[in-house]
Amino acid sequence: MPEIDPTEHDITELGPEIADVDDEQELEEMLALEKGGEGREGVLTLIEDRLETVGSDEETVDPETVDLTDLSVADVANMVREVEDVEVLRDVLERETAGKDRKGAKSQIENRIESLESTGAESEVEYVPPAEKHPDLDHPTNDKRYVEGTVDGDYRDMWVFCETQRGELIDVSREMLGKAREMMDGYNDDHDADEAVVAVLIGDGVGDLTDECLAYGADRVVYHEDERLQRFRHRPYTEIFCHMCRDWAVDWRDYHEPRYTIFPATNNGRDLSALVQGELDSGLASDCSGLYIEEADISNPAKTGAPGETTTFEKVLHMKRPDFSGFEYSTILCIDKPHRDFHPQGASVIPGSFEMPDAESEPDGEVVEHDLELPAEWFRIEVTDFDALEGGVDLTGNEVVVALGRGIGRDPTRGIELGLEFVDAFESADLGLSRGVITASYQFDGHVADYVAEERQIGESGQVVEPELYVAVGISGAVQHKVGMDESDTIVAINTDPDADIKDFSDYYVHGDLFEVLPRLTEALEAGEFDRALAAEVSDD
Amino acid sequence: MTDDYEHYEAVVVGAGPGGAAAAATLADRGVETLVLERGVEAGSKNVSGGLIYAEESAPYTIDGLFSGFRQGATERPVSEYYIHNVAGDRVKTFDLGDVHHHDTEWCDAVLRRRMDSWLAERVHERTRETGGGLLSGVRVDGLLRDEGEIVGVTCEELDPITADVVIAADGVNSELARDAGLMDWAEPDEWFQGVKAVVDMDPDLVDDRFDVPPDDGVAHLFSGDLFDGVRGGGFLYTNEASLSIGTVFHLDSLADERAEPHELLDSLLTHPLLDQWFQGEYHEREYAAKLVPDSKKAAHPSPHQGRLLLVGDAAGQMQAQGPIIKGMNHAVSAGGLAAEAFAEAQSRGNPASAGALYERKLEDEGVMATLRPTRYRLTRAVSEHDLVTRAAEGVLDSAVGRAGVRAFDGLLERGFNSPFLLGMIPDTRTSYVTIPRVVAEELGEPVEATNDVEPPALDDRIGDLTYDVGEPHIELQDNSWAASGTAVTACPVSAREFGGGCYREETIRTNGGTERVVSLDTQPCVECGTCAIVADTEWDHPAGGKGVEFEEG
Ligand SMILES: Cc1cc2nc3c(=O)[nH]c(=O)nc-3n(C[C@H](O)[C@H](O)[C@H](O)COP(=O)(O)OP(=O)(O)OC[C@H]3O[C@@H](n4cnc5c(N)ncnc54)[C@H](O)[C@@H]3O)c2cc1C
Ligand SMILES: Cc1cc2nc3c(=O)[nH]c(=O)nc-3n(C[C@H](O)[C@H](O)[C@H](O)COP(=O)(O)OP(=O)(O)OC[C@H]3O[C@@H](n4cnc5c(N)ncnc54)[C@H](O)[C@@H]3O)c2cc1C
Ligand code: SF4
Repeated sequence: MPEIDPTEHDITELGPEIADVDDEQELEEMLALEKGGEGREGVLTLIEDRLETVGSDEETVDPETVDLTDLSVADVANMVREVEDVEVLRDVLERETAGKDRKGAKSQIENRIESLESTGAESEVEYVPPAEKHPDLDHPTNDKRYVEGTVDGDYRDMWVFCETQRGELIDVSREMLGKAREMMDGYNDDHDADEAVVAVLIGDGVGDLTDECLAYGADRVVYHEDERLQRFRHRPYTEIFCHMCRDWAVDWRDYHEPRYTIFPATNNGRDLSALVQGELDSGLASDCSGLYIEEADISNPAKTGAPGETTTFEKVLHMKRPDFSGFEYSTILCIDKPHRDFHPQGASVIPGSFEMPDAESEPDGEVVEHDLELPAEWFRIEVTDFDALEGGVDLTGNEVVVALGRGIGRDPTRGIELGLEFVDAFESADLGLSRGVITASYQFDGHVADYVAEERQIGESGQVVEPELYVAVGISGAVQHKVGMDESDTIVAINTDPDADIKDFSDYYVHGDLFEVLPRLTEALEAGEFDRALAAEVSDD
Repeated sequence: MTDDYEHYEAVVVGAGPGGAAAAATLADRGVETLVLERGVEAGSKNVSGGLIYAEESAPYTIDGLFSGFRQGATERPVSEYYIHNVAGDRVKTFDLGDVHHHDTEWCDAVLRRRMDSWLAERVHERTRETGGGLLSGVRVDGLLRDEGEIVGVTCEELDPITADVVIAADGVNSELARDAGLMDWAEPDEWFQGVKAVVDMDPDLVDDRFDVPPDDGVAHLFSGDLFDGVRGGGFLYTNEASLSIGTVFHLDSLADERAEPHELLDSLLTHPLLDQWFQGEYHEREYAAKLVPDSKKAAHPSPHQGRLLLVGDAAGQMQAQGPIIKGMNHAVSAGGLAAEAFAEAQSRGNPASAGALYERKLEDEGVMATLRPTRYRLTRAVSEHDLVTRAAEGVLDSAVGRAGVRAFDGLLERGFNSPFLLGMIPDTRTSYVTIPRVVAEELGEPVEATNDVEPPALDDRIGDLTYDVGEPHIELQDNSWAASGTAVTACPVSAREFGGGCYREETIRTNGGTERVVSLDTQPCVECGTCAIVADTEWDHPAGGKGVEFEEG
């Protein structure tokens, strides 16, 4: 008797249950039971499908005897994947050539042979130092693949590059420090070690930020101040970072290079991370969104040095990064090879990936100033000019916003003019627009044309404003417009349509033609009689 | 150059039923397959009426490819099928059960978001095994060519990808079919426009008001004078906890009559006949629209070029069999056959022959004959001729014609139930409007109900949709009223006197006079494809994940 009697279950329950049954015998019995019972079509298919899957696992073909003409190309491909013996494969190839002679099948077999032979070859190749490998070259150590080629070096600590903007830490710097703290606490526990989180600050006046770095999780802050470092520059930033962590002789840094390095995946951080990791002879996992330290079992012979063997690597930084726009995640590991170290294990981190840590109020830790003469040569490239990105029009700070809609369509240029005149009559006011105006085919005369741009759009896909007074002129009040303005203190609508939605969320509704109403209101405002004029305009219906 | 690109044996563009069927079949045959879908999730861009058929004669069915499909992805089976001929408030109902069940193994109502995302999960699992997978949020924006030959696809979000075969299952308005020059978007008479509302209804109320058991459902169709003379009809299908109610019109007729699609839908929704089901309650979950190709005219007889194979709507394989709309099932068949063709061609060491093999399979399996019936082609020239139409209309409306209709009561119902006759129906007013109207006038009973539900206005319908607004994806090439004015009415989210639509009529002053023009804002666009055909535009889909996102479909 099988464990599950299908006749006692609904098909919806059976789906997942059947998927767990691995025993062919049991499935056969279930099939028989269902056939003897209601014989439900869907259930039979489910069991048969499962049987096929389970059955196919166990079916093995002997490559040495099988009749190849019975197999599809895919079958051949599956079969040869299991074969380790090159001789057997050559025999299969011969039989295929003599038989159906399918190009697809042959290439599958040939590929398999090739891959077996090439891995075999790799395992036999002795390590040859670059100098011997390229006797014809002057500087064989300058092999493109590495700068130093350190083997079995000493590595400690986690170094975090803390980027600053306008004299402040940017958020991702804090996020990285918090994460580094958490990881290194775990690390020190697990390995009964005492390795530190080292924060790196480079810039002009960054000495002021050292305490903050300690508060967010650093054990030690290393900083370098110089007014020439006010803006990020490739050469000096890279040189300083590398000197700090590799070449600088200080008593606390008794190791070759950091064990781990972390950078922000910002514009500057991306540049710096690539340059530093290249100079330090290691790799980089860029744009990561997850980090943790764990051991890893690796069987890749390039890493273990011995084909067929699995080696456990300790203290490996696992760096998760989204691929294909976040659809898949890969975990990147940076692991030493037998004849070459890959340290520091480095990552750049997407801002916002980690939580913002709480700042500790009285942190302890050590602050060290990096003392190094910076050669003028590092500053050969000068920043001569820079520009902040155009901020566009900011409507949010105004007491009054006058917004124009498609009601101006009869004479768009005049409409904008009237709107601007009205705006000018207030002390602190600016002009907003509905999207309907911006996307229209209206032709504006030159002197007002510049006002009609998306930067003045109010609403869901524009700006959200909450002025004391919002005047919606010739705007119907679509919901996408409403969300940009309905928190305003007072809303006045001017519209020819008494059924326009805007009326429902206005405090005052003026029923009238904007080309007539606006000039009257402007005049009243200039005469200091706005309230009275408005009261006179407002309709009571 | 192309050597540097990522390569897959097969790239499938689009994860609708056609793409899902193709990808599953490829994966089952061990072909390394990557599926690219522009929606944030499969189904988020798709609209159907929603009856998916499994035909007995079809080479592939959706549940054959995806076991558990009916349990996991559909709404209710549809066992009953009626058509209501309407004239004013008179209605004559025919039972079309026979033609509905003809060659039908089963038929279920579906909502596309649910269905396509369910399929996509399985497609991803299966294609992953081959070293590929399904990526959503990626829009393919063209074919990659090397020395003139198609070798892959280019995407807005990823680097170009090369492939041994590209299966374009990218639906109606296929950018790949256009790029290859296989389909043009020129003739309105090759298309229908479908517009649909999903209306909320408690499952118990559905059972009750439609008189169906909890796990069963019904389809009602509507034709006659409901629609201001525009050629087409309406449908209502029962879902698990909602109704799909919509209209499908010939695009040329819709355009010529300057009809407003949302108003035509409202005419159906507010007809007294529907009161028995609404009983005064109406809550619309979603308003949606999409073009539908008419296979009789649009199905490409040779839907392939080099490594590119078109399946489903992309190849025009959407069959309107009288009132019965069959697109999803044919997309599944074509997807399966295209995949099969490639796998076979590849194992014979000649992947380049996949296209020709696919074409032959479409013929051999009878798919092409169903999509482009010869009898339609033979009778079309005569029966769609204006004079014949007018003559037929005259006869039908005359005393003699009316007497005939009365005498043939039973026969007419049988006639509607003949798939053979349905395949021959000419696309004229006569069959869509006049016959049903005369039938209803002569044989119908008046409906004694008032239906006072108020469907939402267009601005609220737009307001209830979800958009992730990106860059404008449609460009007006010619904004004159003559070239593009039709879009103001034909666009399902635009209307005359409505400033919140995509297309708006405007009058601008020119030196000396005024000119009537249209302006375009693509933000409210539901990507139906209509203005690609009726207006002078440069029409693309929005970038991956951008634009409208349907929750129901
Ligand atoms: C109102 C209405 C009612 C209908 N009723 C029925 C009915 O009752 N029964 C029926 O069988 N059929 C019906 N149809 C027709 C049916 O919906 C289609 O025939 C069917 O969906 C076609 O399937 P497909 O796989 O070819 O294309 P689609 O289902 O349209 O799938 C195409 C996919 O490709 C994606 N895509 C498009 N372009 C790109 C790109 N450039 N890059 C990446 N991805 C892309 C899309 O997002 C989509 O997921 C109806 C259609 C409408 C509009
Ligand atoms: C996804 C999405 C995002 C959107 N985002 C925004 C957004 O951020 N901001 C935005 O504004 N819109 C947005 N919209 C568009 C929005 O839906 C409306 O289309 C738009 O706000 C309409 O602009 P309007 O009110 O100026 O035009 P209309 O709706 O055409 O209204 C014009 C009004 O003017 C009145 N009128 C006409 N003549 C006169 C006259 N002489 N005097 C006085 N009144 C007159 C009319 O009665 C009418 O009420 C978005 C739409 C979508 C789909
Ligand atoms: S703008 Fe064009 S594609 Fe978009 S909804 Fe309107 S008609 Fe359809």
